Amino acid sequence: MKTLIISILLTGIIMAQEIVELKQPNSAKLVVKFMFKNGSISDPQGKEGLTYTTSQLITQGGTGELTFGDIQDKIYPMAASYYSSVDKEVAIFTFQFHKDWMDEFYPIMIGLITNPSLSQSDFDRVKVNQQAYVDQVIRASSDEEYSKKALEDFLFRGTNYQHMIEGKSASVSGITLDDVKAHYKKYFTRNNLMVGIAGNYSEDFLNKLKSDLNKLPDTIPTVPIPPVVKSPNGIEVEIIAKEGAFGSAIFTGYPLSITRADDDFAALMVANSYLGEHRKSYGKLYQMIREQRSMNYGDYSYIEWYNNGGGNMLPPSGVPRHSNYFALWIRPVQIAKQLKAQYEELSDINIGHAHFALRMALREMDKMIKNGISQEDFEATRAFLQSYIKLYIKSPDEQLGYLMDSKMYGRENYIQELGELLSKVTLDDVNSAIKKYMQIENMKITIVTDVSEAEPLAKSLKENLTSPMSYSNIVKAGLSEEILNEDAATENFKLNVKNVTIVDSKDTFK
Amino acid sequence: MCRKKLMLTIGLMSIMLTNLNASDDKILPYPIYQHKLDNGLNVVTVPFDSPGLAAFYIVVRVGSRNEVEDGVTGFAHFFEHMMFRGTDKYPREEYNKVLKMTGAGANANTSLDRTIYHMTGNVDYLEKMFELESDRFMNLKYPEHDFKVEAGAVKGEYTKNFANPYQRLYESLLNTAFDVHTYKHTTMGFFEDIVDMPNQYEYSIEFFNRYYRPEYSTIVVVGDVNKEKVNSLAEKYFGNWETGNYSAEIPVEPPQKEKRSVHLQDGSIPPYMSMNYKGPAFSDTKIDMPAIDVMNTILFSQNSKLYKKLVVEEQKLRFLGGGAMDSRDPYLINIQASFINKDDFQYVRDEITKAINEIKHNGVDPKVLEETKSNLKYSYAMGIDNPDAIANSVSHYIYLTGDPESLNRLYTMYDKVTDEAIKMIADKYYIESGLTIATISADEKGGVE
Repeated sequence: MKTLIISILLTGIIMAQEIVELKQPNSAKLVVKFMFKNGSISDPQGKEGLTYTTSQLITQGGTGELTFGDIQDKIYPMAASYYSSVDKEVAIFTFQFHKDWMDEFYPIMIGLITNPSLSQSDFDRVKVNQQAYVDQVIRASSDEEYSKKALEDFLFRGTNYQHMIEGKSASVSGITLDDVKAHYKKYFTRNNLMVGIAGNYSEDFLNKLKSDLNKLPDTIPTVPIPPVVKSPNGIEVEIIAKEGAFGSAIFTGYPLSITRADDDFAALMVANSYLGEHRKSYGKLYQMIREQRSMNYGDYSYIEWYNNGGGNMLPPSGVPRHSNYFALWIRPVQIAKQLKAQYEELSDINIGHAHFALRMALREMDKMIKNGISQEDFEATRAFLQSYIKLYIKSPDEQLGYLMDSKMYGRENYIQELGELLSKVTLDDVNSAIKKYMQIENMKITIVTDVSEAEPLAKSLKENLTSPMSYSNIVKAGLSEEILNEDAATENFKLNVKNVTIVDSKDTFK
Repeated sequence: MCRKKLMLTIGLMSIMLTNLNASDDKILPYPIYQHKLDNGLNVVTVPFDSPGLAAFYIVVRVGSRNEVEDGVTGFAHFFEHMMFRGTDKYPREEYNKVLKMTGAGANANTSLDRTIYHMTGNVDYLEKMFELESDRFMNLKYPEHDFKVEAGAVKGEYTKNFANPYQRLYESLLNTAFDVHTYKHTTMGFFEDIVDMPNQYEYSIEFFNRYYRPEYSTIVVVGDVNKEKVNSLAEKYFGNWETGNYSAEIPVEPPQKEKRSVHLQDGSIPPYMSMNYKGPAFSDTKIDMPAIDVMNTILFSQNSKLYKKLVVEEQKLRFLGGGAMDSRDPYLINIQASFINKDDFQYVRDEITKAINEIKHNGVDPKVLEETKSNLKYSYAMGIDNPDAIANSVSHYIYLTGDPESLNRLYTMYDKVTDEAIKMIADKYYIESGLTIATISADEKGGVE
């Protein structure tokens, strides 16, 4: 009887916590996710990157009983894995382990979450990596990822969404272990936690988990509100001049007022997929820029944040956001310096393909806004999405992740509900959503490019100069009249450019 | 798939995974059904509980390894792009339209030894997937202009990769470590060959006729399917595919005689060093590669002595890792380290060599050896939780040996790895004369002995 009362009391206490369950009786694996509703927006001013440091230190450190090394020794034969991921509004810890090791792994998992050691030595190690990322890795390892992060910095300037999750050069260097300890207490609490569990677990296991989570701090965090971002005034461009860049990597965007929470999202998703489905050859942008003109490796559009687009084919879960934006991704196009070196016939050009590619993408979008999409394209795109969204949740980890994200948007089961919304959406809904949410007049653009390209490109954009496409002779010879006519219409397509600035790569993310 | 059979399979899966340490169980807890067509095409079916979903893969055993002629490096990869350029029946636009209708996630990728085409989606469209794939595999036809245009997309891919200094170093590393074998170049190929690609139309047709043949290919279907259905679709759509007769002579790399090094001067990222020993080709019957996998796991996992010393305690490194890539011909055993300070290059290089020598002389702790075998098996078991992951894994062993059962054999071999086997491979492969050291730092030279 005593046990029962305690159990009821415990259950009563933790009713505030949200639990998302995904019972899979046939699975040999368990996935447990702890989603704290505090992401990088909770970073104090001047300590940007602190939520990331704290999360990293939890997974890269020890517990009250075990050092990081002890834990590695223990989990080695189990091949259990865990990691943290931080986004603007959430910090998530994911643990995956085989049910054979449930009893041995459990204390480690619960120890890391509720009683992390937060030691100086682990902190030093974590911080060195974080500092290297914000100082060097983001600028040096992928121009397309760089331009994407730079666009967020530009688009959300002055808000708590602006800084990279990992922070800024100056802020990371100022983060101390005491900051981390205070931040953990303040924001990693049992009152802003959602727990997800998938696999073949028992009720006893779940109850113990719920009960043990009461060891988390009981503070009630005040999590900052996501920003409402003002529309840009015309088209504003930031060119990031980088020594030795091989191409021009472009990202553009503008704030979008809706998210997955809105039913209109399904209609907008059809339009977006038609224009530029991520890494698919069906999108108009891909067909125009890559397939017909071979300007780059791909061109896509987005109506929400797409994490690690260069690595992922399907959108990962774990990045729910309330401050949303539309974006176009134009993968690196050739610069003048490279084109001149490769083709004698292009020896007199002074800018590469960036201006033309940008014009082509925005003009294509403009056509869609003005004309809408056809019944046939609507049917095909909707049918595609109805099947395709099911691939988002192929694995238990992804299923659980999407279920938890659903709650963040006030939905029960986003993928299922999206399927239902898609089946009801009409062509009129899609074309109305296009008119309502899409435009090309007011946006921000970032371009990471070579130092040699920055000035001429800035001039060309600022003055809306003609930007003819520079084909090599071998490609030009076989182009159809239709393509050449399209090019002629594109090279003078007026963009509403209001401001162009050049930023030295060294001065970004300061 | 019949529901009853499905439950049976799952029951079996639970039992097998629970007994992962028993040596007589197969690591893949699902049956691998194989059916060879008269023309030599192998058809592999793995039923898996993914209601309504199936992964459809075609593995072609052609990669940059097959680029034996001068001036056409990167061609296997370029050709993968051309496979999306259409046929008479399904010209590019039509192909896209039909593929879009299936709602599948479809793509392809190329590596040293293979090209893989994959679609994962609604199982109701499985027959359509077969029809689409058989048409382009048997009847590919693209205009010369399309060929020239597609070359620009490959150049765009190179352009995006070029931003990464590690990628640039890797290119130089291969060029340094190999003299004659086609592993000398990356799968992307040499840049001058990429720029020249538009001029290789005739060669592209030759390439297609050589390699896009049933004897080079295997179809893999994983998911909510049964073998009867898959085999009958394969017979229907690929039964008429004509066998070819081409076989490339891949140059044999002579033994490396002395240590080599290559350096990239770049201060924009943290200093980096990789040590690369010439390793063996993949084999599921010789103990060499399984023993190397075990040794690398022991040496470079996060719980290893070396990792704890260099990364956790002394904090000289941001990262340490090591492993040997499976390949059809001998390739590299790669050890990577990212530094906080470039002045530690030599120290870390010496510490790694010391740890290897320690194994050469004293072998490994028996407990650690057993734990490593457990680690390898559980790592695998944890990863196969969706049809794509299983299809990818099965395809990996198909390109290496032609037989998906290699997967099960390899994991049986891990059980046979002994202390003696590890000492043997340590002496055989981790030797100074087979080493190429690659470094990145702001300095003009790497400066590692």
